Parts: sequence; C-alpha cells; structure tokens
Amino acid sequence: MEILAGSISAGLLIGMVFALVALGLTIIFGVMDIVNFAHGEFLMLGMYTALLTAQATGVDPLLTIPFAGLVGFLLGVICYLGFVKYLIRGPMVAQLLGTFGLMLVLRNLALFLFGSEDRTIHEGLLVGQSFDMGMGIILPATKLAAAVLSVISFIAVWLLINRTRIGKALMATALNAQGARYMGIPTERMNAFAWGLGGATVTMAGALLVNFWSVTPYVGLLFTMIAFAIVALGGFGSIPGAFFAGLIVGLITELPGIWDFATEMTGFDWMASVPMTSFKYTWVYLAYFLIMLIRPRGLFGWKH
Amino acid sequence: METLKNALDFSDFPRLDLTLAGAVAIFLMVFPFFSHSSFAMSTLIQFLIFSLYGMGWNTIGGYGGQVDLGKAQYLGIGAYTTAVMLLRWDTPFWISMPIGVLLSVTWSFIIGYPLFKLKGHYFAIATIATSLVLKDFFEVWDLVGGSRGIEILAGKYQAPDFLHLIFKGDDYYYYVILIFFFAGILFMNAFRKSRLGFQLRSIKDNEDIARSLGINVHWAKIKTYAIATAFVSAVGSFHACYVKNIEPEDTMSLDISILIALMAMLGGAGSLWGPIIGAAVLVPLKSYLKEWLGAQAGMVGIDLILYGAIIMIISAAEPRGIWGMVEKARRRRRS
Amino acid sequence: MALLEVKDLTKRFGGLTANQSISFQVSEGEILGLIGPNGAGKTTLFNCIAGLHPIDDGTIRFNGVDVTRLASHEIARLGLARTFQIMVASGDLNVLENIMVGCFMHTTSRMKAKAEAQRILKDMELSDLGGYLVSELPVAAQKRVAMATALGTRPKLLLLDEVAAGLNPSEIDGITATIHRIHSEIGVTVMLIEHVMEMVMNLSQRVVVLDYGQKIAEGDPRFVVKDPNVIKAYLGERYAKEHA
Repeated sequence: MEILAGSISAGLLIGMVFALVALGLTIIFGVMDIVNFAHGEFLMLGMYTALLTAQATGVDPLLTIPFAGLVGFLLGVICYLGFVKYLIRGPMVAQLLGTFGLMLVLRNLALFLFGSEDRTIHEGLLVGQSFDMGMGIILPATKLAAAVLSVISFIAVWLLINRTRIGKALMATALNAQGARYMGIPTERMNAFAWGLGGATVTMAGALLVNFWSVTPYVGLLFTMIAFAIVALGGFGSIPGAFFAGLIVGLITELPGIWDFATEMTGFDWMASVPMTSFKYTWVYLAYFLIMLIRPRGLFGWKH
Repeated sequence: METLKNALDFSDFPRLDLTLAGAVAIFLMVFPFFSHSSFAMSTLIQFLIFSLYGMGWNTIGGYGGQVDLGKAQYLGIGAYTTAVMLLRWDTPFWISMPIGVLLSVTWSFIIGYPLFKLKGHYFAIATIATSLVLKDFFEVWDLVGGSRGIEILAGKYQAPDFLHLIFKGDDYYYYVILIFFFAGILFMNAFRKSRLGFQLRSIKDNEDIARSLGINVHWAKIKTYAIATAFVSAVGSFHACYVKNIEPEDTMSLDISILIALMAMLGGAGSLWGPIIGAAVLVPLKSYLKEWLGAQAGMVGIDLILYGAIIMIISAAEPRGIWGMVEKARRRRRS
Repeated sequence: MALLEVKDLTKRFGGLTANQSISFQVSEGEILGLIGPNGAGKTTLFNCIAGLHPIDDGTIRFNGVDVTRLASHEIARLGLARTFQIMVASGDLNVLENIMVGCFMHTTSRMKAKAEAQRILKDMELSDLGGYLVSELPVAAQKRVAMATALGTRPKLLLLDEVAAGLNPSEIDGITATIHRIHSEIGVTVMLIEHVMEMVMNLSQRVVVLDYGQKIAEGDPRFVVKDPNVIKAYLGERYAKEHA
C-alpha cells in the first residue's frame, strides 16, 4: 500500500512539473500551429541559467526563477523574430527540420559553453529537505515547491489568457489569424509574444526542475518528447488540458512503482521480471501513440 | 517489363542534367583508382549510404509528403539482423539482408496501419515515438547486446569475403555500395513513373481529389512506407558489415532519423536527384566540419552548431531545397 | 434505368441540417442540373453522394449498387467522378500528369495511362498546355483540366461542381460546349451544380432545386423556373407574390 501511495504522490508531483514544461509548447502550438523541437533545449537553458546564476551570486536557487523566466522570454522572442517567423512560410517539412536545427544549435552551444558533465544544485533553502506525510508518502521539498509554483504559473497564465486584453488578442490570433488582423490585432507581435510566453514558462520550469534533476546539454530531448505527449494528450492548445495531461503522464512515469504494487497484490511472479524501469519513458511514447489514434483531439483540445 | 523500361528511361530530364549525372557516375566509378585519402574514401562511402537512405525516405516523405522522422528504427532492424545472424549462425550477408528487409517491412506494416491515420505534425511525432520505443527496447534486449551493441569480429573471416561482406580494404565496400546506389537510382526512377508514384504525388497535392480518382489513400501510403523501409533496412545491413560495431545509440537515434530526412529535404524532397544532392552537400560538410573543428580542444560542439545553423538557414530560406531552387529558376526562364 | 438513386438523404453537421430527406434519380444518359440559392446544400449533397461525408439517413444507389456506406475511392472505382471547386494545392504534377492519375485507375502501365491522357488532352482542347502546372493556367483552362482529370477514370456519372464560377460569358459558352461534347461523344451522364441559369437551361434536360437543405422542385427547367416556390427561394417572397 505504501508503495502505491508513494508512487502516486511522486507521480502527481512530477506530473505538475511536467505540465509546466508542456505549457509553453501548447501555447505556441495553439497560437501558431508550429511544433518546436527545440522546446526541451529552452528548458535546458533555463536549468543552466538558474544553476549558474545561483552559483555566481550565491542567491537561493528559487529566487533565480524570475530571472530565468526573463531569459526565456527574450530567447523566445528572439527565436521568433529572428528565425521562426521565416520558417512558417514554408512547408511543414521545413518547419520541423528548422526547429530541429535550432535544437542542435542550442544544445551544442550549451555543450561548448558548459561542458558535458552532470550538474545539480547542492545548496539551497529546500534542497535535501522533505516532508514525510506517512503512509509512504514522502514529499521532497524541492519537488513540492516546484509543483506549487507550477500550479501558480498555470493559474497565472490562464488568467492572462482569459482575463486580459492581451490574452484575448492572443486567443484571437490563435483562432483565426487573418480575422484577427482585420480587427487590428498585430498578429506578428502576438506570435512573438506567444513565443516569449512559451519560452518564459518553460525556462521557469527548468529553473524549478534543476533543484532536483541534474542538467547536461543533452537533457532536452527527453523533455521535448514528454512535452509532446502531454500536449497531445491534453489537446493541442488547451491550458487546462496540459495540466491534467501532465498529471497523467507523471503517473505513467511512476508506472514501475505501481507495477511493483500490482505485482505484490496479484502475486504474479512473472511481473517482477519485466524491466519496467528501463521502459519508463517508453510508456510515455506509447501513450502518445495510442492517444493520437483513439482521440486525436486529446482530452480538451479544440484545435485539430 | 515496362517497369524495367521505366527504370532505364531518363529521357524526361534535360540534356544538361543527364550529362552532369553521367559525369558524376563516371567519377564515382573510377574514383578508387586515383590516389585518395582513406578519409575521402570513407566520406564517399557515407555519401552513398546516406543517398540511399534519403532516396528511400523520399518515397514517402518527398513524393508522399508525409514527414517521417523515425526511419532509424529500420536501419537498426536491418543492421542488427545481419549482425546477429552473422554472429550466431555465420549467415551470409545476401541471406541476412533480405531477412532483415522482411522483418523491417513486416514491422512497418504493423505500425503503418495505425500510423497513417495521422497526418502532419502528429504523424511526424508519432514516427519519432515509435522509433524511440524500439530503440529503448533494443537497449535492454540481450539478444542484440543491449546498449553495448554488437561487434563483428572481422578476424574470424578470410577477407575478402563476398559472402559475408567482410573486407579488409574500403575499396571493396565502396564498390558494393556503389552498385546498391545505382540500383537505387534505377528503382526510384521506376518508382516515380509507376502507378504508385503518381498516386502518391496526387495524394500529396490533395487527398480528397486523389480519393475521387479511385485511389485508396491509406493503403498507398502504407505501401510506400514499406518501400522506404526496405531501402533503409537493406543499407542498414550493409552498414553493419562496414562499421562492424553497432549500438542503438548510433544506429537508431533520433539524430539519424532526422539526418535522413534532412538529406532529402536539403537536396529537394520529391525529386529524383534531391536526396543525392542533399547527401553530397551534407555528408562531406559534416565529416569535414568534424575533422577540422570537432576534435580541437575546447571547441567541442562547434561543428554541430555550424551544422545546425546551416539546417536552420536552409529551412527558412529555401525549404524546397536545392533542386527546388533549380526548378524554380527554370520555370521562371520558361515563362 | 436509374444510374443514380438518392432516397431520403439526410446530412447534419452538428445542429445544422444541410440536406433534409432528399430524393431524386438520375437516368443514364441525361444531364441533370442541381440549382438553388447559396447555402442550399448543393455541394454537401455532391459530397455525400461521392462518399466524402457519411450520411445520417437515407440510401444512395449507384449503378444498382448500394453505395451508402462506401468510401469515396470505392465509389470512384464504380464509375462516379467529380470535380472540385479548388483544383490543386501545391501541385507538382503538370496537366498531363494530373490526367494520368485518373487514367491509372484502369491500368498499371504508364505508357497506356499516358496515351489515354494525351487523348483526353486533345479532346478537351488542352493539347498545348500539357506541360504546365495547373496553377500556371488561366481559370477557364483550369476548369477544363478539372473535368479532364475526372474523365481519366472513365466515369459513368460525372458530377460537376460550379465549373462556370469565375468565367466570363464567352468562356461559359466554351465550357457549355465542352460539357455537351463530353455528354454526347464520350457518353457520360452528367449532374451539375450551377448558378449561371443560362448554362443550366442550355444543358440540363431536368433540374432539381434545393433550398435550405430541402428539395423544393424538380422537372423540366423551363417549367421549374416559373415555379413560385423556386422564385420565392431565389428572389424572396415579395417578388414571388408580385409576379405570381
């Protein structure tokens, strides 16, 4: 029982962080219909930003989050204005490969600047602390903080999109760019803003993540794929969808734990020999595949 | 019979193109006889290999317009089939390669049926997902050596061994892959003129119109996907015998899948020469960048940064690829 | 014998009923016009018949076969062809190749397909334009290419969707003559959606009128145009009353 409770709580916690990672992707996709392969590299850069800023200034890592967000915002806007803007005029092949090129550039830039060793945060207010809730539920403080901040970010973004003028302009551009233009909405700026917002959310997610997940220049791809799966499951362009899908995917990655629990419960010995841990992310990929076949619109999707 | 005629008939190309192609063909045939560095030779072999991967991809990705970013999994199946069968049962290449193709094509039908219910980005991401799943699987599967991979011990065989495709010098490998290369071109020539080729191009244009002309779109895509798979798998088998040391990370990674698509796109997806031109530019570029920049101390990653930047520039500036530019210029001149 | 039999065809899109219980027949060898104000559901009806949309109620029989549940490519193989209002998207196929695609339905040989396509090219007076991309051609020629492409499949029934849209009067005359030729020389049964009344009158032996998704009239065009329901549909109730 404890294994199950522990797995589920861990899954939910990490799921909330995953959800924040995916939030940026769904915003960009919702507004512009472009799939950003470099999404995970933005995350990676957010992680490095937080790590290095904390180390350089001695500030607590949690306080570097706004700065990481700013960096992400600028990065997103620059990528859009300098590159993506030209990319969307071409066929889809070119778009996919173009953002892949961006991924290579960002990843190897990081490799060049930071080297390839694993790095984690070792010092900080919450590092190493955790809350034992009993029943096998242990909540590491850093993950808890990340989850809480993720929820706050979601609410903030949701309010931004639905309650502010600029948010509505963004939605208008997403629904019908041509129409939005006729109404005087500067769609170019909206696109850039979408990229900025997307970039900011994911770099902040990175700043949170680096507190308990080590960073290397290569960490991006995994998260890109996780983000894709979440966005597909939740529905491309849906913010609440991204959140709930993130939870589900978080739980999926804890499948080994749940599997162990099931093994114990059912007593089927063969279950113990399945190397579930190695396949942790395989299930995520498979989930993506299955979702796309059964319900391509995702849970909450409105854009297909 | 007509298929053979189709394969050999290049008459719909302008004279200039054919002359250039002929010159390149002759160059390729006589190259080994001139003095050359082993680096140049291995680069050329890579060029031929990737041209073939690109040609295969081009059937479904270029003519068909469905961007497939998961081709590497078939490279893996082909390579590993040959490697494992060689290791365990001394199977000749000429038997293990077709078996690899059979396995790959079977797998492609299994996942192709659901896969082609998707389109566009969703399809592309799904292909990545399936490829990565297979790669993950190979990394834990003992039969194929897990993440350590398989090593073919060349010493066991008496080189030159044409049956098992084990040679001491690159020259032999070169000629084998060159023959594959020419065969591939002939096949593609026949393909683009075949009924399936036309159907695909119509599908790429507008699926509803294609259906109204009696084309079973879903099935046409699956068939083409199988063809692309066969190409990649066969050459993957060759790859195993050539490099003799394979592991999931360098045969089945996403980077390789993307590279394959890139070759075709850069050169001009949907054209006969496109993948070859693309490979001719990107393979030497990658090799020489790595040589000059990659290994230098403190400059790790610069070669890939440049490489990525080039990809970005091409994607944004000329997404139809080099051949696309040529055709555009020609058309403009005509009107 | 009725080549096409549509019975009680109903198609809904969410809350909107695009086609409501429509029934009519098309006899082999005739030219049937489908007219009605914009938004009446004419193109939707075509799409349903051609298998593009599954229908909510009713049956469709083509050449004696129940095609209600068949996929559009299967219906095409039975001999039903159609044109689309938008011809091509990106188009890397030139005119000849476009027609060849249709011809490939009956052969696997490229040579045979090419020969047949060239014959159709000549028939449709497009011989000089074979090498061009469809997008490079003027509108009138594009329409002929659309018809030629459909003809490649050797259809028994050809559905023409507003082929006169965007054409000037002399071009309309041209395309009317072309349709006449297709009908009489090649022997294809034609059903056409048109807004150009003159064309409908010139070509059709019978017309079916749709309004707000329902069939409101059917018969000889000369009488149908005088039908008060039809006038009301096109010109409004007041005009109909004033000219009753």
